[in-house]
Amino acid sequence: MTDSIIDQADKIMEKAMLAAAEFQQFNQEQTDRIVEAVYKAGFNARVGLAKMASEETGLGNWKDKVIKNAVATQLVYNSIKNEKTVGVIATDQLSGITEIAQPLGPIFAVTPVTNPTSTVLYKILICLKTRNPVIISAHRSAVKCCTETVRICYEAALDAGAPEDCIQIITAGSRDLTHTMMSHPKLALILATGGTGLVKAAYSSGNPAIGVGPGNVPVFIDESADLPFAIANIIASKTFDSGTICASEQSIIVEESIEEAIRLEFERQHCYFLSPTEVKLVEKIAVNAETMSMSPFIVGQSVSVIAEKAGIKVPDGTKILMAKLDGVGRDYPLSIEVLAPILAFYAARDYHSAINICIDLNYLGGIGHSAGIYANNEERILEFSTLMNAGRILVNTPTSQGAVGGLFNNLLPALTLGCGTGGKNITTENISARHLINVQRVCRRKPNQNWFAMDFQKYLDESIDESILSKEYFKNN
Amino acid sequence: MLTINHQNEKNLLECFFTGRLDTMASEEMHPTLNHELTNLQKSNPDFDQSKIVFDLKEVDYIASSFIRICMKTAKQVPQGNFSIVNCNPFVKKTFKIAGLDETLNIH
Repeated sequence: MTDSIIDQADKIMEKAMLAAAEFQQFNQEQTDRIVEAVYKAGFNARVGLAKMASEETGLGNWKDKVIKNAVATQLVYNSIKNEKTVGVIATDQLSGITEIAQPLGPIFAVTPVTNPTSTVLYKILICLKTRNPVIISAHRSAVKCCTETVRICYEAALDAGAPEDCIQIITAGSRDLTHTMMSHPKLALILATGGTGLVKAAYSSGNPAIGVGPGNVPVFIDESADLPFAIANIIASKTFDSGTICASEQSIIVEESIEEAIRLEFERQHCYFLSPTEVKLVEKIAVNAETMSMSPFIVGQSVSVIAEKAGIKVPDGTKILMAKLDGVGRDYPLSIEVLAPILAFYAARDYHSAINICIDLNYLGGIGHSAGIYANNEERILEFSTLMNAGRILVNTPTSQGAVGGLFNNLLPALTLGCGTGGKNITTENISARHLINVQRVCRRKPNQNWFAMDFQKYLDESIDESILSKEYFKNN
Repeated sequence: MLTINHQNEKNLLECFFTGRLDTMASEEMHPTLNHELTNLQKSNPDFDQSKIVFDLKEVDYIASSFIRICMKTAKQVPQGNFSIVNCNPFVKKTFKIAGLDETLNIH
């Protein structure tokens, strides 16, 4: 590591530490005033930032990015605005425990190219709400739009009385600087949203990390489902910002008995089933078969661009390319996560076989993330949910918009979705302000009467077994 | 519990299991399975090329001792010649969690 990179990291951290020192003296009212100001500034800039992000990254479309920015500001703000994040946040007279929230310290927030401005807005809001200075690391293909987002938020924060340097951004796009920052001894936490490599680097840095990994979302359509409704929802979700949300549907799994009806409905709603030859052509441009990873050149692209790259002709107005596959894994490249309007499609001989395919897909790079089911059969919904290793199981809901919370359900609105230990993450929750505080517990003396009523000499006597001591422990209860 | 179907001409040994394969059930069936495999090994010069299929269609629970039997059996034939078919999703997930779905060639 060169001295200049270490110096650069030290300078950024020094500023962040000073901001942290000042910020921890703020009360709830001062903090909330800053968060409200940043929310309003970010929300008001939602359209301009979306256009910038779309233009700079070349991914998705600006209108859907406006929605993402609105979710990241309006929904996130409304979910945290009344939350206590400063000082005493809970008192329980019965247990005698008082909880006090303390900030963590400087947070290094890595943001993805697929949702650049929205992730920056969301991470800034939850960091400021918890009095933590934040250092944004922008993706090298989204530097301009992330810098503008930070500028807007920082100016609003300063106007509302926030400490200097409470928001910083790294724009150099240097991998070395990112790694030096992640392992900096003065850093409190890494908030990493990105690919597997990045998340692993965050967890290996020696600093605490909340990192979330990739998904590979299977969606089972049960025979009890409302088919036109299910397919309309799937299309609205998979086409949203050209499929760039990691919770977007990746595979549709059905029983053979309803395959034809579903195929017709997808076609009626302007989706195109690829022929086996066309599947091969799309595979080639969508997935690097050697590394089994999606090609960055098709991420967030429209169907027409993908079709052109693959050298195939599809009807005008096609919304999604459907690829019928016979298996899961290395021999079937489109069975992995592809953040573009391409859906794998499976028809299984019966219900159990269909669920087994869902399990295979779930374990193919998407453990712990999200899964979806369309059904009007409670038993099957519960069984499917039990069998999936997913932090979020979305029922009769578009998975992209469902998983981020706040739109179709009461999940916490977030652009960083925990995937649990299966995804090498610390939690399965949607990450919000509540994850960015240290909770101190002040414990008042409340002696355990059962314990102190015991004759402790009996504990020293090996011949007295658990049943006798247990009976004595609970005597007169 | 365990029914064995040996198709000599196909060099195929199919084992059909039923019910709850807990530790006790696994221990009870193990000698029978072992006996069958040993006989096959002795009587069949092409045993090395045998295919062994465990059919779990009628199984709703597997203990770790049964998974060990699967692993031990799989080791007796060349890689890829042992497979498990017709798992219900709960059994399939159990193999996934054990990290053995690929090793044991589960369909």
